[in-house]
Amino acid sequence: MSTGTSRLSVPALPDRWRTLLLLLPVLLLDIGAFLVPMGYLLRLSFTAQTSQGAFVEGSWSTDGYQYVVSSDLVHQIFTFTVAFGVGVTLLAVAIGVVYAYAAWQAERAGRIALLSVAVLSLFTTLVIKLFAVVLVFAPQGVLNDLLTGVGLLSEPVLLVDNLVGAVFGQLYIVTPYAILAVYAVLSTLDRHQVEAARDLGAGRWDAFREVILPHIRPGIAVATVVSFTWSIGAYAAPLLLGSGGEQTTGILISELLLTQFDWPAAAALAVITVTLVFSVLMAILWRFDESGGILNA
Amino acid sequence: MRKRIGTWLFRVVVGLLVLFLSLPLLIVVATAFDASGAVVFPPEQFSVQWFGALLERPTWIRSVLNSLFIAGGTTVVSMIVGVAAALGVRRFSGGGRTAVVGLTVLPLFVPGIVIGIVLLTFFSRFGLQQSYFAVVVAHSLWATPLTFSIVQASFARFDWQVAEAAQDLGATPRRAFLAVVAPNVRAGLVVAALVAFVVSLQEFIMALFLSGPDTRTVPVQAWNSLRQGLDPLVSVVSTLLLVAVVVLILAGSVLVGLDRLATDA
Repeated sequence: MSTGTSRLSVPALPDRWRTLLLLLPVLLLDIGAFLVPMGYLLRLSFTAQTSQGAFVEGSWSTDGYQYVVSSDLVHQIFTFTVAFGVGVTLLAVAIGVVYAYAAWQAERAGRIALLSVAVLSLFTTLVIKLFAVVLVFAPQGVLNDLLTGVGLLSEPVLLVDNLVGAVFGQLYIVTPYAILAVYAVLSTLDRHQVEAARDLGAGRWDAFREVILPHIRPGIAVATVVSFTWSIGAYAAPLLLGSGGEQTTGILISELLLTQFDWPAAAALAVITVTLVFSVLMAILWRFDESGGILNA
Repeated sequence: MRKRIGTWLFRVVVGLLVLFLSLPLLIVVATAFDASGAVVFPPEQFSVQWFGALLERPTWIRSVLNSLFIAGGTTVVSMIVGVAAALGVRRFSGGGRTAVVGLTVLPLFVPGIVIGIVLLTFFSRFGLQQSYFAVVVAHSLWATPLTFSIVQASFARFDWQVAEAAQDLGATPRRAFLAVVAPNVRAGLVVAALVAFVVSLQEFIMALFLSGPDTRTVPVQAWNSLRQGLDPLVSVVSTLLLVAVVVLILAGSVLVGLDRLATDA
């Protein structure tokens, strides 16, 4: 209200310049260290391949994209990655909704316990989580020991170095984000609305479907986008817990970049991945998130 | 009757999920206290010898120091950027605000592996790959949207007319911020800083691509030894890292409550 006039006594910069100055660091960081490098990646994806060095400086070519389009191996890996990403996302969002709902409707102590576990898991580095998955699910791991020990299994089942291991590992990475994204929105729901629905004769499931589910749509949208972004870029989980059959685009990109020194192909693949993620982001923003909740998360 | 079964089924599922999320971490901690060093569970003989062994491994010590240094740097950078931006957009509404918010959250929606390789190729043009600078900048891209949104949320709860009153009484904008605004939003600022620190401490993928032998962080070092086989020191370092994170989360919860920590971050 009084912003313009009250500052006259202060020998400071005009408001507009002050605002610009305050925004300078964020513009510097996000333009200088994100947008410009992304532009560089785009440029890199249009350079020519070469057997000497990583790419031909200053050249224009579609070598990288041609490699991506023509290679069967790349198709196979890309298809697997998308399927893997969609599968993990569906599982993570389902778990997120169930878990967040459980935390929301629990009494105080239960809620604190459930949230603590989710927050701790969120803030634990994925390397520790994957290490933990190895300890639990390996053939000589805790779970197999337990199940063979009590006689449920005659011999250990293989739960790592295959698709199951990769999915478990990736779920372990993304689930906390999904839980907290849904919980953040659910915590703003007025309990009386649910009680009113129950009083009017709605069962627990009906109240969930008619009152809670519509309310948490933005949370589900955020959970979906975050889980999908992380899973489509999966690298560590499939590498450590998968087998050669669970190659993802992320693993392929790093191999092209670091061992084959084929930077145009690596850049092209990265550009395609980012485009895919952003298309999904846009589609979900447009479809689910009328209120702009993603930007406020 | 059907309702009962449904309720019990729900409880069992939630219980399993809690076990799924927490039990593996407890097992990691347990293996750190086993004497044999074979990474077994349950531990056969209690011992803290591997914590001592850690002190004799310079590469691990180095990685711990690197992690602290990089997390500290990320906290400073993302706090300066986040607080300034939150102050800057305060007078914006509509389009300008959305543009700034959109720009800051954008890096969160690009897979870490892509940012890692993008910055690796970009920074190597300037010989900056494997530097502390590279890792701190990368981590700041992810920490800043969080500090920005947490600080912004606590600014929104503050009555800015008080700050204007201070300026009307002759305080400079800087003085008014430090003496009037900062004490009132202190909890928010501390939590933002804690979150930035923890985000950097636990980040792995970008650090993997951007750090070198001298700048390796704990997660990268742990990854490297895991790739070579199970090393009891990974359990030990994981335990220390978990304890650090628990302490920081507790500090944050005491300040603003777990509910807000869980929903803001």
